[in-house]
Amino acid sequence: MNRTMRRSVAATAGAVALAASVAACGSGGGGGDESADSLSVWIMQGTNPDADAFFDEVATAFEEETGATLDVEFVEWGDAHDRFVTSIAGGTTPDVAETGTTWTPEFADAGALAPLDEYVSGAGVSDDLVEGLVEAGTYDEQLYGMPWYAGVRSLVYNTEMFEQAGVEAPTTWDELEDAAAALKQEFPDKIAVAVPGDAEFTVYPWVWGADGEVATLEGDTWTSHLDSPESQEGIEFWTGLATEGGYSSQGATTWRETDVLDAFAAGDVGMAVMGSWTPGAIVEANADMEGKFAAVPIPGQDGGIAPSVLGGSHLSMFETAQDKDLAWTFLEMMTTGEFAQQWAEQSGYFPGQVSLLDETLASTDPLVAPFAEQFVDGGASVPAAPTYGAVQAKLTTSTMMQSILSGEQDVATASAAAAEEMTNILNGAG
Amino acid sequence: MTAQAPPTPRSSGPAPAGAGRAAVGWSGGWSSRARAAAARPWLLLAPALLVLAVLLLWPLVRVFLFSLQDYGLREITTGEANWIGLRNYGEILTAPELWTVVLPNTVGFAVLSVAGTVVFGTAVAVLLASLGPFWRTVTSSAIMAAWAMPAVTGTYVWVWIFDADRGVFNDTLMNLGLLDDPTNWFTNRWTFYAIVLLNVIHHGFPFVAVTVLAGLLGVPKEMLEAAEMDGAGAFRRFFSIVVPQLRQVFAVVIILSTIWDFKVFAQVYLMPGGAGSNRSVLNLGVWSYVESFGQNRYGFGSAIAVLLTLLLLAITAVYVRTVLAEEER
Repeated sequence: MNRTMRRSVAATAGAVALAASVAACGSGGGGGDESADSLSVWIMQGTNPDADAFFDEVATAFEEETGATLDVEFVEWGDAHDRFVTSIAGGTTPDVAETGTTWTPEFADAGALAPLDEYVSGAGVSDDLVEGLVEAGTYDEQLYGMPWYAGVRSLVYNTEMFEQAGVEAPTTWDELEDAAAALKQEFPDKIAVAVPGDAEFTVYPWVWGADGEVATLEGDTWTSHLDSPESQEGIEFWTGLATEGGYSSQGATTWRETDVLDAFAAGDVGMAVMGSWTPGAIVEANADMEGKFAAVPIPGQDGGIAPSVLGGSHLSMFETAQDKDLAWTFLEMMTTGEFAQQWAEQSGYFPGQVSLLDETLASTDPLVAPFAEQFVDGGASVPAAPTYGAVQAKLTTSTMMQSILSGEQDVATASAAAAEEMTNILNGAG
Repeated sequence: MTAQAPPTPRSSGPAPAGAGRAAVGWSGGWSSRARAAAARPWLLLAPALLVLAVLLLWPLVRVFLFSLQDYGLREITTGEANWIGLRNYGEILTAPELWTVVLPNTVGFAVLSVAGTVVFGTAVAVLLASLGPFWRTVTSSAIMAAWAMPAVTGTYVWVWIFDADRGVFNDTLMNLGLLDDPTNWFTNRWTFYAIVLLNVIHHGFPFVAVTVLAGLLGVPKEMLEAAEMDGAGAFRRFFSIVVPQLRQVFAVVIILSTIWDFKVFAQVYLMPGGAGSNRSVLNLGVWSYVESFGQNRYGFGSAIAVLLTLLLLAITAVYVRTVLAEEER
């Protein structure tokens, strides 16, 4: 899972995390369990409010099928990366762990993960996995992360404000700009569209929507295309809403996704790019918002859907796993069929298996169906390079956004600098 | 603040004499007794020094060894060393942003915040010294609250005050008619650091105030009275009598503040744009975090840590020497 999203998930699930940490006390162990009649698993805390009961059920089913016990340990998102690194160094990794989608290539590159292709094709599910998640879990043409669950960002809008301003949900960029103008006229003190400066995943849809690319791999060399004419057009449109139209706010220049969520929940924002996991948090923060907002897939430049990053988790098998077949049995149980569906329902995310999504797609809920459509038809992945985490840590895209939004640089200069930095870091020349 | 040799006992009582006799065995006479007396405190300190060596010295050595390697996730996993000599140091010292942004920010900020903290802290100490016991207790409890507040909490309060859209500061300015549209104070290098400065001084002055107060209370009343009789005004008394008496105290608070303010991290990292997306506000702490931990380049980070330690040691050494030299005069 990407960093920005982890932050928002953590914020979303504040109370939930507390409940889960109590749960975590109940299930100790983990790490270097050597006997093959038990399987050690690390799961991230806070995704599913009812994780404890869920894993009790999984453990029972797992023991029935294999005779082995399941040893689940819950790990905080914030500590997880460090814990993985230290346990990789010490050879004390669990047998199976939930890995954020941007970590999987990094750990695979370090030689810590076991390739899954044989198992996946053996189980006959190769063609039934969500593409964006497979792409993110593939390193060096081998699959290291089994798609488990994910969320996606779409355009969320305040229906009350839209009705009062007499506008419809936009389906093209021109319509979006017109809607923003109408909103600004009706509500001069509110934010028509939030353009946050420190939220890279709200930027890429506009790059892709204009047929641009973030970065591509040719042979062994990554090249960032944030400065291509197409990408620049997308960035120009998105930042122009703030710098030329004045539809965003001064404060948004330094906003993260959590700040967007706060402002939206307060009823101060007309529309914003927000995740499929946020509706619950919006209502939790402000009960008055219930029923007053809806979502649409992010429009492409002239219609259609602009791709958006799938942020979520894989389940990965570590090389230290004693009994890899046993580990695969668990992976399959968790990521396909009944348990995968149940997990997705309880956590408010989408499952990583396409056939499980049919039911979700049939939903008419204005806060489910548009996200599901975006998930299946407009899902994308950030560059699946082991060094992408380093790009995120350097905040390359946020730096570009902030310097454009604050008026320090124009789109051409800022995107050229960002593309150069991203290319360098992706190729390991940080 | 130099390491002083432990005081030598003037007279050896019955018990130390016993210990001395054991050491005398191979030599005897007055000189060996003196030698034993000199060695005794070190013997007693040995266990503590040994623990310190293990806990402090060994990690220091390890950090230095890491700084000579290209040490990343792959090296951690494989356990292989990848020695690259001084290349990490070369890369740091030739990085253009170090000289144009990072060091100016760090040094400039440290100078201002040390000056601000010490001046304000001393002023508060003088105020406290002039108060009666009741109000002194009340006031010092109040400033202790500022000290006890974790840096993270304090930072969020300042961020909230200066928030562009909902902050108290912008609201007040706009109500007073001094500002037409909300301004984002975090995107500009100077206003960004002005806010950090407020935050750090607010968090750091109580320590100075309490330490200087302790020193102030120790200044002999007779000297002050004598000076007053001779017609010295309040300022003259403060700068000519109190300040020279407190030279040691000031040395301690200035050195400690310098070390702390050089290493400022959370107060910058947690500010909007401070985590690296606003490159013009990077300081040494955030820069080294982003470049080392963020990029999994632990060797590079270790090299920065070594350089920072050397820099702070140099500053401390120069300062201690100046203070000592003044005292000898």
